Amino acid sequence: MSKAPFRLSRRQSRTAWFYVFVSPWLLGLVFLTIFPVAIGLLTSFTNYDGLNLPTVRWVGLRNYNRAFTVDQDALFSFRQTLRWTALNLPAWMTLSFILALILNQDVKGRGFFRTAYYLPSVMPAVALVWVWRIILDRNVGLLNAFISLFRPNTAIPWLTTYALPGLTMIAVWTGLGWGMVIFLAALQGIPDELVEAARIDGASNIRIFRHVTLPLMTPVIFFVLINGLVSSFQQYVLPQLLTAGAQISGVPPRSVYLSLTHVNLQFFAFQRFGYGTALLWLLFVAIVVITIAVFKTQRFWVYSEADEEGK
Amino acid sequence: MDSTVSLKSTRRQTLSKKLRKVPAYTILTLVTVLISIPFIYLIVTSLKLDIEYQSWPIRFFPATPQWGNYAEVFHPRHRIFRYAGNTLFLALAQTGLSILTSSMGGYAFARFRDVPGRNRLFSIVIALLILPAMVTIIPQFIVFSRVGITNTYWPWILWGVGGSAFTIFLFRQFFLSFPKELEDAAEVDGCNPFRIYWQIFLPNTKPALATAFIFGFSAVWGDWFTPVIYLSHRNTTLPVVIASAFVNPQGQALVTVTLAASVIYTLPLILIFFLGQQHILKGVVTSGLKG
Repeated sequence: MSKAPFRLSRRQSRTAWFYVFVSPWLLGLVFLTIFPVAIGLLTSFTNYDGLNLPTVRWVGLRNYNRAFTVDQDALFSFRQTLRWTALNLPAWMTLSFILALILNQDVKGRGFFRTAYYLPSVMPAVALVWVWRIILDRNVGLLNAFISLFRPNTAIPWLTTYALPGLTMIAVWTGLGWGMVIFLAALQGIPDELVEAARIDGASNIRIFRHVTLPLMTPVIFFVLINGLVSSFQQYVLPQLLTAGAQISGVPPRSVYLSLTHVNLQFFAFQRFGYGTALLWLLFVAIVVITIAVFKTQRFWVYSEADEEGK
Repeated sequence: MDSTVSLKSTRRQTLSKKLRKVPAYTILTLVTVLISIPFIYLIVTSLKLDIEYQSWPIRFFPATPQWGNYAEVFHPRHRIFRYAGNTLFLALAQTGLSILTSSMGGYAFARFRDVPGRNRLFSIVIALLILPAMVTIIPQFIVFSRVGITNTYWPWILWGVGGSAFTIFLFRQFFLSFPKELEDAAEVDGCNPFRIYWQIFLPNTKPALATAFIFGFSAVWGDWFTPVIYLSHRNTTLPVVIASAFVNPQGQALVTVTLAASVIYTLPLILIFFLGQQHILKGVVTSGLKG
């Protein structure tokens, strides 16, 4: 075989190699992300039921309208998601932060405590839910048994009416390790000189925390907040496993009937693919809007070195 | 870091200083106890009879430990080995493929900095890092069910080939720190870029490989949602089977046996966690990955 009629320059050859290396990911981007998302967008304007192509019709914005008019559960589930976020996020972030603060002190066995606190995050969702089913069970659960020591015959329905606090306990138990590891790493990154300098200037521990530690931690708090918001809004698996009989067509009790629960039920219980995708995009837009809103608040409370130099 | 801390502590180790730490240790111990109780309760309850578990007032410990529950999990009727095998296959296939293609991507983004279009593509990787997973999972389901690959393992293979933005990012960070001379010397020796990546760069990123493997494997092993929507009961995975209670031949639920199965199902991940702890904690810190 003769040599190719042209020779690639070094630059061309490097470009070719670059695209060879990224080609699997690039193909995945086109066929596993861009194409399905485009199809999903189109689907949201149709009456597609997941099966019958011949009867598919373009219905314009009807699906989107439906979410704000006929289907009262759409807004209900969104309000419930907001409630869940408002309960879970502050509890989880505050506890992780306090634990990180304590561990950042000069304590022995830091490694041990860090491992112990991280361990629940390792547990897969299905096993996690079994643990909490036997703890939160109304009749024979450990939690009600414990409360019964002080108030005999307590039977709080943690898996139905009170599923929201129940779910929060689970989320805090599992999430504590992740939050604490991130906060602790950030705390350890605070230069000792800054804290020492403040101490030499006679600042009390509370003042050091308020004026040195906390401002320096705000970028990390911001990062954890954004992360927590986005995953809170996508909560689906835990309530589904815990309170809906671990069936994708099962309906959780109203207290934990969240946005993504409502979306997924459209697909897997009612075959409403058109309406389901419309709800999915609405939820996505809501997440984006809330994230942008939180980003906008950044300049009021998140410390950045650039700001400080400008003063 | 640590040495300065211990120096400080020896200098100021007075009794009052020690006493001041009592509240800290109290809280730390209390939290450790609170965190361990669910684990302990799972294990002790997995050793009870079902009637024992369902009786009130509850007793924390079993009257006699029912080790038979663990034997029952492996009874041929429950086909645990088949489901475990399916899960293991999917987890290894997807993670293995994803590590291969994502490390190639990470290598390209780290070492081909002069190539036109590179920056734009990399900003897509960053955008995908933030994109909520739900945005792609359902639309993919619509497409895959139309193409007819539901009830096969193809979705997992395709996800593996497509790689993950997190893993690309992870490998890129690693490959960025390699010295330029390493590449130049290999190039002078006539190595093509693939050999440089495969024989010089990849073998030197063991921490990244470990981190990518642990997070990838745990994600597939623990995933309940995708096998439920894609697979039938015959070829499904362990989490789907364990999610609802095992039954005896009469169709009665065996709760404590299922608890034993959950313990067995969790063990591999606990084992991986203890083996790769430092990689996991570092991975969490550098990339914000969630376990």
